[in-house]
Amino acid sequence: MNMSVSPGAILQSAASLSETRAESHIDISGVCKVFKGRKGETDVIALQDINLEIRRGEFVALLGPSGCGKSTLLSIVAGFQQPTSGTACQSGAVIRAPHVSRTVVFQDFALFAWMTVQKNVEFGLKAKGVPYPARAQQALELIRLVQLTGFEDKYPHEISGGMKQRAAIARALAPDPDILLMDEPFGALDAQTRVLLQEEVARLTSDNGKTVIFVTHSIEEAVFLADRVVVMSPRPGRIRTEVAVPLARPRTADMRTDPWFVQTVHDLWEMLKPDWKDKE
Amino acid sequence: MQQVRRIFGVFIFLATWQAIIAFGWVDAFLLPSPLQVTRAILDMVVDGSLWGHIGASLQRVLIGFALATFVGLTLGFLCGAVPWVADLFKPLIEGLRPIPPLAWIPLAIVWFGIGNAPSYFLVFIGAVFPVFVGTFSAVRGLDRTQINAALCLGATPWLLFRDVIVPPTLTMVFPALRIALGIGWMCVVTAELIAAQSGLGYLIQQSRLLFQIHNVVAGMAVIGVIGFAMGLLMEKLERRINHWSPGQRDQA
Repeated sequence: MNMSVSPGAILQSAASLSETRAESHIDISGVCKVFKGRKGETDVIALQDINLEIRRGEFVALLGPSGCGKSTLLSIVAGFQQPTSGTACQSGAVIRAPHVSRTVVFQDFALFAWMTVQKNVEFGLKAKGVPYPARAQQALELIRLVQLTGFEDKYPHEISGGMKQRAAIARALAPDPDILLMDEPFGALDAQTRVLLQEEVARLTSDNGKTVIFVTHSIEEAVFLADRVVVMSPRPGRIRTEVAVPLARPRTADMRTDPWFVQTVHDLWEMLKPDWKDKE
Repeated sequence: MQQVRRIFGVFIFLATWQAIIAFGWVDAFLLPSPLQVTRAILDMVVDGSLWGHIGASLQRVLIGFALATFVGLTLGFLCGAVPWVADLFKPLIEGLRPIPPLAWIPLAIVWFGIGNAPSYFLVFIGAVFPVFVGTFSAVRGLDRTQINAALCLGATPWLLFRDVIVPPTLTMVFPALRIALGIGWMCVVTAELIAAQSGLGYLIQQSRLLFQIHNVVAGMAVIGVIGFAMGLLMEKLERRINHWSPGQRDQA
């Protein structure tokens, strides 16, 4: 394998980070998740002994083929599911339920179909108790940020997939969370829209210091966006290796042709090919 | 154009009916003509008796329907949201549901005698199951991801209920309410045929005993028109409340 940063070196640096606990924002230790099989079926081990420490402000991509448990892991960090054993902690406190400090962007958008784009974006602010004119103003600002100005009063079914995801990103950013969790957010979009939204996310996350976990099965997407790519493999879901991405932030379109980028995407594909083939 | 066709359809029906009587193909005593029926209705409007019957029937259907809505929504919601409540009630409800409202009449009379109460009860029996089934299915069909989205955005239980659970549920609950009201309307007439001394059902029954067949048909026509109007009203309300739903817009 010809990677400029060896996985071993990354793991070492992660270990040294754990000594400076103040910096650790999300701490996943010994997490296992077992789904009980129905009668006559065997149990499925979705996650096996996952250990992962994420620094404040870090952008981590969870990369792997479907069935590797990456979405399950994200869902545990979100607090939607509990691990069978092990713990996921945020700033030292065990995560037991969803909290507004960790908002989620879903693959199928999960916008509220009965609310306009504006009301969707306002929802988290409303939940926070921000009074009416103020929250409308803040929502408008976010809608501008994700370039949806002019579509505030549209219902989700009236706008395109890419626009829906922009709206969902604005909604997730509205309560100003510490952590942004993105679960294959561009999986349902066409290739061109994907590329545009990747650049959008690169722009939005580069300067606000949020910790991001981004689940994807696209190698390019993971390498383009993340500071660190955590590669997972299936049956049972586990962490296979990690790759640190030395590219500067914010990421820009021209970095896709950077020799390191091209080489890393190529190497990861060579490494993951068997897993993908397995799946077929 | 659509409106013209709708009116034209009814007109053709009435004209054919009138012609059948006019040509003497059917005995006018057995089937009064539309004109005779209209006259019968107008007579009852003028002497005021029709309003009393309509009022009595409407009051009964509304009270029975309100009870059914309350019980159906509450039970449907609880069974849809809490699995152990569903285990407790679902078999019982599914067992009671196939019993036709008509079969409850003997018990209704024994329990409540003659008057308003058996009508409330019968309307309730007819309307409660559609409301229950609609609510139950709606709550079961809620998108878990949207609830998760609301929770991670910090929604309190009340906000979650009001802004995230109720609106999508209404798209299924409203058609169920419309169907339930229609069934309730049929039930109130049924109940009045047997166990009441006022109302449109009673009017029909009484007129039959007096061989006033034109009043029988007049009563039936009024029942049809009022049922039609109630359906329209519910549909209008539904369109207003569920205006965001793509399905609603297409049929508008």
